[in-house]
Amino acid sequence: MRELSLNVMDVAQNSVRAQAKVVTITVAESDREDRLTIEIADDGCGMTEEQVQQVIDPFFTTRTTRKVGLGVPLFKLSAEQTGGSFDIRSKQGVGTTTTASYVKSHVDMTPLGDINDTVKLLIQCNPQIDFVYTRSTDQGSFTLDTRELKEVLGDVSLDTPDVLEWIKDYLEENTQNIVGGAST
Amino acid sequence: MTVKELKEKLNLKTLVEGDLDREVKDCYIGDLLSWVMGRAPADSAWLTVMGNINSIAVATLADVSCIILVEKAALDDNARQKAELHDVTILTTDEPAYPLAVSLSRLI
Repeated sequence: MRELSLNVMDVAQNSVRAQAKVVTITVAESDREDRLTIEIADDGCGMTEEQVQQVIDPFFTTRTTRKVGLGVPLFKLSAEQTGGSFDIRSKQGVGTTTTASYVKSHVDMTPLGDINDTVKLLIQCNPQIDFVYTRSTDQGSFTLDTRELKEVLGDVSLDTPDVLEWIKDYLEENTQNIVGGAST
Repeated sequence: MTVKELKEKLNLKTLVEGDLDREVKDCYIGDLLSWVMGRAPADSAWLTVMGNINSIAVATLADVSCIILVEKAALDDNARQKAELHDVTILTTDEPAYPLAVSLSRLI
C-alpha cells in the first residue's frame, strides 16, 4: 500500500467482520527510538493458530471471488522491509491483536498517510462498534474513545455530520500538538 | 511472442519454468506490490526487483505471462516454491528494467 493508514483500514475492517465490539488502534511513534508501531486489537471472534498462519499466507483468502488475499501479507512486508517486525496474536472467542513495528528512518519506510481520516471513516461506517484510538509521539499522546463520546452524546449517533466534524477537528488539533513540523 | 521466444531473444535465465508457451503482449514495470496488483496488464511481462512470496501472489492475481527479476534481484526460497506450485514463470537478468524494457518493446 502507498500509505500505512490503508493497511490500518484493511485490518480494522477484518475486526468488524470478526464481530468485534471494541477495536483499539494505537499508533506509537518515537524519533528517539527510531520506531513506529501500529497495533490493531479487537475483541472479535478470534482465530485458531492455523487460521493465523493462513492469513499471513498471500495465497489464502476467505473470499470466493479470487484465490489470493494480500491485505495482511502486504502489511507484514511493509514492516519487514524497514527492518521491523510483524505479529498476529489471536485466541478464539477472545480476539485478535495485530502489531506492525517499523524502523522509521529506513529508506523503504511507507508513509503513515492520513490516519486521522481513516479513524474518522471507521467510526462513520461502523457507528455500532466502539473505537479507541491512541496516538503517541515523543512529545505526548492523546486518545479518542467513542465509548466516552457516546456517554456525552446520549441518543445522538456517532455518524451524524456535526459529530463527525467534531471528531475530525479533535483528531487534527491533538495530532498537531504532538507531531512536530509539517508531517502528520 | 511467447515467453520462450522472449527468453531466448533477450538472453534471460530461467529461475522457475511455468507455461513458456504463454503469449507476452505487454510490459509492466513496478515494485510497489499493491500498486502493481491493480495495474499490471494481463499477459504482460512484469519487470521488478521484488522476488518475495507476495510477488508470486500479485503475478497470479494480475495474470501476467512472466516475472522478470531485473538487476539480479534475489528470489526467496518460499517464493520459488509458490511459483512452481502456481506455474508462474520467473526469469532473471543482470540488466536494469529500463534497457530491458527498451529491448522488449522492439519484440512485442
